Amino acid sequence: MASATETPPAPTEATSPAARVLKEALGGEVLKVEEFRGDLAITVVPSAWVRAATLLKTRPELDFKLFLDLCAVDHLDDEDRPKRFEVVLHVYSVSGKHHARLKVGVSEANPRLPTLTGVYRGANWFEREAWDLYGIVFERHPNLTRILTHHHFVGHPMRKDYPTAQRHVLPDPQTWLLKVPEGSEHLVVNIGPSHPAMHGTFRVQALMDGETIVDAAAEIGYMHRNFEKMAEVRTYWQIIPYTDRLNYCSSFMNGHGWALAVEKLMGIHAPPRAEAVRVILSEFSRIMDHFVCIGTNVVDLGAITPFFYLFRVREEIYDLLEACCGARLTVSYVRIGGLAQDVPEDFADRCRRLIDSVRKYTDETDRLVTRNTIFARRFKDVGTMPAEEALDWGWVGPCLRGSGVAYDIRKDHPYSGYEQYDFDVPVGTVGDCYDRYLVRLEEIRQSLRIIEQAVAKLPGGPIIVDDKKVALPPKEQVYSNIEALMNHFKLVYEGILAPPGEVYGYTEAANGELGYYIVSDGRKFPRRLKVRPPCFNIYQAYPEMIKGGLLADAVAIIGGLNVIAGELDR
Amino acid sequence: MGLLDIFRGKLTDPTAYPGVHKGGDVITTTVDAVVKWGRKSSLWPMPFGTACCAIEFMAMTASHYDIARFGAEVLRFSPRQADLMFVAGTIVEKEGPVLKTIYDQMPEPKWVVSMGVCASSGGFYRSYHVMQGIDEIIPVDVYVPGCPPSPEALIAAVMKIQERITNGEQVKRPQGEHRLGAPGDGAIDRRARRAAWAREDAERARAGLPPRGVIPLRVIPSDPDTNPDHG
Repeated sequence: MASATETPPAPTEATSPAARVLKEALGGEVLKVEEFRGDLAITVVPSAWVRAATLLKTRPELDFKLFLDLCAVDHLDDEDRPKRFEVVLHVYSVSGKHHARLKVGVSEANPRLPTLTGVYRGANWFEREAWDLYGIVFERHPNLTRILTHHHFVGHPMRKDYPTAQRHVLPDPQTWLLKVPEGSEHLVVNIGPSHPAMHGTFRVQALMDGETIVDAAAEIGYMHRNFEKMAEVRTYWQIIPYTDRLNYCSSFMNGHGWALAVEKLMGIHAPPRAEAVRVILSEFSRIMDHFVCIGTNVVDLGAITPFFYLFRVREEIYDLLEACCGARLTVSYVRIGGLAQDVPEDFADRCRRLIDSVRKYTDETDRLVTRNTIFARRFKDVGTMPAEEALDWGWVGPCLRGSGVAYDIRKDHPYSGYEQYDFDVPVGTVGDCYDRYLVRLEEIRQSLRIIEQAVAKLPGGPIIVDDKKVALPPKEQVYSNIEALMNHFKLVYEGILAPPGEVYGYTEAANGELGYYIVSDGRKFPRRLKVRPPCFNIYQAYPEMIKGGLLADAVAIIGGLNVIAGELDR
Repeated sequence: MGLLDIFRGKLTDPTAYPGVHKGGDVITTTVDAVVKWGRKSSLWPMPFGTACCAIEFMAMTASHYDIARFGAEVLRFSPRQADLMFVAGTIVEKEGPVLKTIYDQMPEPKWVVSMGVCASSGGFYRSYHVMQGIDEIIPVDVYVPGCPPSPEALIAAVMKIQERITNGEQVKRPQGEHRLGAPGDGAIDRRARRAAWAREDAERARAGLPPRGVIPLRVIPSDPDTNPDHG
């Protein structure tokens, strides 16, 4: 097992095709190619920013079609860097099965960069976010306005010199999101944010021609509670409870992803027993998440019975989580390098009973919903998303698989021992709401298969890594000998000290690829933590999807996308 | 208990009346008491759910915990038809005006439950876009701690509200309205507080004063005549 003290491998001349192609095409405009923990980062000059992104996307041997993330990093007070900001793009190649990171420096005096919206459609909201939070101007962006904070906000809050608690009160909400053409007789309908179909925190304005939506615009940020800013003054442990509240329907998976990302940064691996328990609880969390999605989706369409069925079995999953860690919803059960404590003795029996129960209620719901005529008519051929467009928006998870792209990180980049388990990845054929529903339903069954196998060969052994720089010593030792006491004290006081470097850790969460991009400068707090939220890309496409459809279809579509506000706005 | 007491409204709960009249089909009480009893037994809650707490709120309404046992199962998403608002989840600056509008649209009498620490005080989101408690803008009747609170705690909150209805209690003004838009200078943020202290120290130094909080050490001279106990 690698230790946390191991020095990171020196950046080597990259061997990947992305670096080679970019170097051949751009020559001296590629400033440097770095490799850290298997992540490839290519830095280019600002003038080559759009060309480099275009090359990554269009060259057939690269094929980086899936847009993942675009964010800014503030390197204030970093003497080694001539430019204060850095803009980072993450893309993925489904055919080549690898990630790439493209970076560019942006100076404080002239924070300008050409927009990437012409290359990736999904970059639109990400660039707005980078402008909102860091004040980086993307030239020729179609709509460069604030997205997460409100229109009375002053300053760019994610900059390091912005005081964390400096609030700006919003006296009046923004009335119009849409520009209504002069003399238009169309009706504007405002849905949300406090509307049951919008789940409390989304807002859509639709321009209606009779029952048909001719134009739509969405506003987000009603749940922007600054997870990333808070994470910059929290140690790697203290961030765990915050991650629980990202996608709160399946809290455990967020913590799992976070622990894996930090473990990647540290170069350590959790013991096999911890990994197996993580897999079991992650899969149960995925099931819970899909239950909420299906349950609330059919409630929005007028059927309340499946909701009661599914919430009943959710309670049983809560009982298992409560037995493991004492909390129902926001569990905070993972630790860096393992888990907080061992599972109860009857864990395997509980899991087996739960599997039966989940299977029973899933089948019941399947019988109630899947062949129901009303439901099928509301869902079939509604909100169709072709695969190519879905990649361009940056869709991931069940929604992307509903469109027919079999990208599942558990299969393509197995983590936590997923390679040992036998399971299938369901994909849709049409890409409509009905396909997304079927994919979710099938994923519940596949998750049960994984859990069955994991429970059958649950290994014994320690639950957390034996590394004094990462894991707290056992309590009985802390109370009985001075070394352990000192160790405990130092670790709590100083936190986990990660090596300087940057990693992108990604897992298959319930909604798709949940990525954590960590920039560490060797101190106990991360310099920058960017969450790559699956919902952000998915919801971005929503106003485009509902155009031309009926207003009632808009309600059916949003429920099936399973947009979670905590993750969307962070 | 005489007839006069009943007219004075001493009886508040007709079900608690010890002696139902002979025959069992006549109960004497006041109109006020009956109205209150009706109100508390048929609360129509409006869920203003934004975040994690909303999931636990759903758990409370679903089959296992079943809030229908307390007469409060008719969830109304229209504020016009509700008399109890559950604010479940973090309220950020952007959501503030929305929450206020919804609250104002509810007909009187109305009660508010602030569910979870985020709604009550901002919770562990002490930062630039999070309202530090909804009582900055609307009055709150019952605060429920927890992150998120368990459904049992929420049921307890419903019972507290019923108690308040029986006693005729209702908060009228936002308790924390003085905090509205508090910029955090010294009040919220540690760094801002340190900056404020540094400014004050500089001012005191200009006035020739020592920094606040520093106690000047006074050395007592050793003189056995005036101070025999010393040294």
